Amino acid sequence: MKFSLSFALVLSLAAAGSLSAQKLVIKGSDTLGAKLVPTLAEDYKVRNPGVSFEIAAEGSTTGITAIIQGTAQIGMSSREVKPTEISAGQAKGVALKATIVAYDGMAVIVNAKNPIDKLTKRQVEQIFTGDVADWSGVGGTVGAFSIYTRNTASGTYSDWKDLAMRKRDYAKSSQKMAGNEQIASEVAKNPNGIGYVGLAYIHAEGIKVVSIDGHIPGQAEIRAGTYPYARPTFYYTDGEPTGEAAKFIAFTLSADGQKIAEKVGFVPVR
Amino acid sequence: MDAPKPVNDADFLVNKTRIRILGLSLDDAVKYFFGGNALVSVLVLTLITYFLFQEGIGFFKQNDRNLLTYRQAGLEYVDHIRTQESGHIALTRYLSDLRLRQFNHFTLDRGLEAVAANRELAPFDTFSEQYADSVEPIRGLVSDLTEQATAIKTKFLVAEDKKVERQQLLSAGKPEAAAAVQIDIVDFTTELKVLTGTLPVYKATAAEFAGKLTAALAAAPPLPTPETTARMERFRVLTQDYLATFPATLRSLETWDYTRPVPWYQTFTAFFFGRQWLTASFWQDWYGIVPLFIGSLMVSAVALTIAVPLGVGAAIYINQIASAREQKIVKPCIEFIAAFPSVVLGFFGIAVLGQSLRWLSQQEGLAWVPGFPFSERLNILTAGCLLALIAVPTIFTLAEDALQNVPKAFKEASFALGATRLQTIIRIVVPASLSGIISAILLGLGRVIGETMVVLLCAGNRIAIPDFTAGLAVVTQPVHTMTGIIAQEMGEVVKGSIHYRALFVVGLVLFFLALGINYLAQKIVRKYRISIG
Repeated sequence: MKFSLSFALVLSLAAAGSLSAQKLVIKGSDTLGAKLVPTLAEDYKVRNPGVSFEIAAEGSTTGITAIIQGTAQIGMSSREVKPTEISAGQAKGVALKATIVAYDGMAVIVNAKNPIDKLTKRQVEQIFTGDVADWSGVGGTVGAFSIYTRNTASGTYSDWKDLAMRKRDYAKSSQKMAGNEQIASEVAKNPNGIGYVGLAYIHAEGIKVVSIDGHIPGQAEIRAGTYPYARPTFYYTDGEPTGEAAKFIAFTLSADGQKIAEKVGFVPVR
Repeated sequence: MDAPKPVNDADFLVNKTRIRILGLSLDDAVKYFFGGNALVSVLVLTLITYFLFQEGIGFFKQNDRNLLTYRQAGLEYVDHIRTQESGHIALTRYLSDLRLRQFNHFTLDRGLEAVAANRELAPFDTFSEQYADSVEPIRGLVSDLTEQATAIKTKFLVAEDKKVERQQLLSAGKPEAAAAVQIDIVDFTTELKVLTGTLPVYKATAAEFAGKLTAALAAAPPLPTPETTARMERFRVLTQDYLATFPATLRSLETWDYTRPVPWYQTFTAFFFGRQWLTASFWQDWYGIVPLFIGSLMVSAVALTIAVPLGVGAAIYINQIASAREQKIVKPCIEFIAAFPSVVLGFFGIAVLGQSLRWLSQQEGLAWVPGFPFSERLNILTAGCLLALIAVPTIFTLAEDALQNVPKAFKEASFALGATRLQTIIRIVVPASLSGIISAILLGLGRVIGETMVVLLCAGNRIAIPDFTAGLAVVTQPVHTMTGIIAQEMGEVVKGSIHYRALFVVGLVLFFLALGINYLAQKIVRKYRISIG
């Protein structure tokens, strides 16, 4: 009797505790959601106790889909929304609104032991579309390219097609990885590997960044607009953000939030 | 004499209280409870099958619209020219292979440094650059037409969505908001005139392209070895063949008609025999299951090749030859493998197995093995090895059961006739239990084909039919599987969209595959089981 009473007490306390907590569901981009948004969430939780986060970073398309279907409050995206997505949202009564939260650059990475350290935009297109199949075609040692890309849910996948491949489709021999970290680790372990990652992931072990037409991805180059593969990253919401989501977005855009973005490796908005 | 008095329960010395549950006796209640459980499982199975079909069947109609839009929005027209462009790319790849052979000749046969070899190859490089650049006018035309066709398609799709929106607003009882929705009706005839109007431009560009190609070919430099010279001759022939396809392309562009209907069966053949699974494309999405199906089959084949000898061999050993002590130790160990969560095995595959296999393949002494050395650590071989590990307990348990069910009389009769132990096992026991062993293998196959986590993490995720011309080396190539694609793309699909339904149809294919395998396994056991007595 005593045991069941204390058990009931513990249960009710837990329920009450979770009732008072606000839950923010954030889904979408792996570029934003693997490092930046969890760091922002931790900082936000320190300042606003009683808010819990659920962050799922499986690709920008999953974030936009979640906003359209109403299963998330904020959708992280590293690409802009497509017109067919806007109309699909309107058909369900959802108006997608974008807020730019940081700028990112997509860096081409190769294995640290690879002798190549510069490529032209044309060569990058040829490599990723499969026009050229061997490293010796771009001046490296003999070996077939092992191309590691993101998968179709990713905004980076889509942005890369747009900025680096003139909207052509990827080579059939490309392998689709689930996130930036996976691409970095595969390229680090494969001497013939080549792939692309966001700015926040270029300091992984075993890889090095290749300069494109002489431009290295970095804060200065992206701000100046000289690096060719730079893009803004967004939070998408259903109409104007309200409630806890609005407060979190405001925090992301505040001086503290942008300082965190800079520390993680993104280029702040201001 | 009076009628016999009705027996009163309280008169008996030993009483059993009759339990009544909902008006039924205990026996009946238990019977109906278990019967109800069976009914619920049948019901759930029916419901699941029904929902699978309901979500999946809608795909074929949507794919029909997809193929129709492909034609009506002019994408098919542009793809004729694009195929011509890809033919040229194939030729430039032949040229880079030729360059590679020359490079190898200079560095390995003549012993030059890489820098010196590149210097020797400078005239060839100029030639191939000229050859590659000759396609620029066509490429520019394709790029412009792509943008126009994509614009038409987007306009059409947005208009369709707006129609849905207006319908929903009307049914929600908001006529003014519904009237406010602007729908741009797309008139394909006028829109496509822009595309088909470029035909004279195409004719001129194609003629210019052919001219540049012939000019570049005429300026080809001499090559160092007879082998490479022979390849260059072959290349000239290939270019002539390619140039000969130009009139055919022109004819298909001239006779292209956007009103030609898409035959009703094409939506099915495009899915079941389509060789491309391409989603989230800026251009056109293709839903063809062949690369995924072949990927699933390849990893299953590799898994069974490893698991069947191991599993059946272990079963024969444990059941017939091992001592009681060995049996007590080894049998639980093998069955314990089944307790590993598949995601743990997948993680093990990425972190340890893939790495080790690649290191092994790069050893000097093993270069004779087909496919060694390979550079990708996530491929069919890695996934196949792990799936074999998962399949072995299933095959082992069921094969061992089958061997156990062989009547002792068979063995005793064989010994009585003077056969040795090995003869008895090979000629009597195993053939007698063969139906059970085959059924065990089939059930192992069913287990392996449905496995998701391991293939998602370890098979490499390349959505393309592997290159079978490499022979046995094909197992060192990465693939994607049906289960993997469902797991990977599940999160990004909007409910009710064509991609969502396509994934359900892939699920249906898996469902029928597993159903077929299980049915076959049961039929074999029933038909070929040795009758006892």
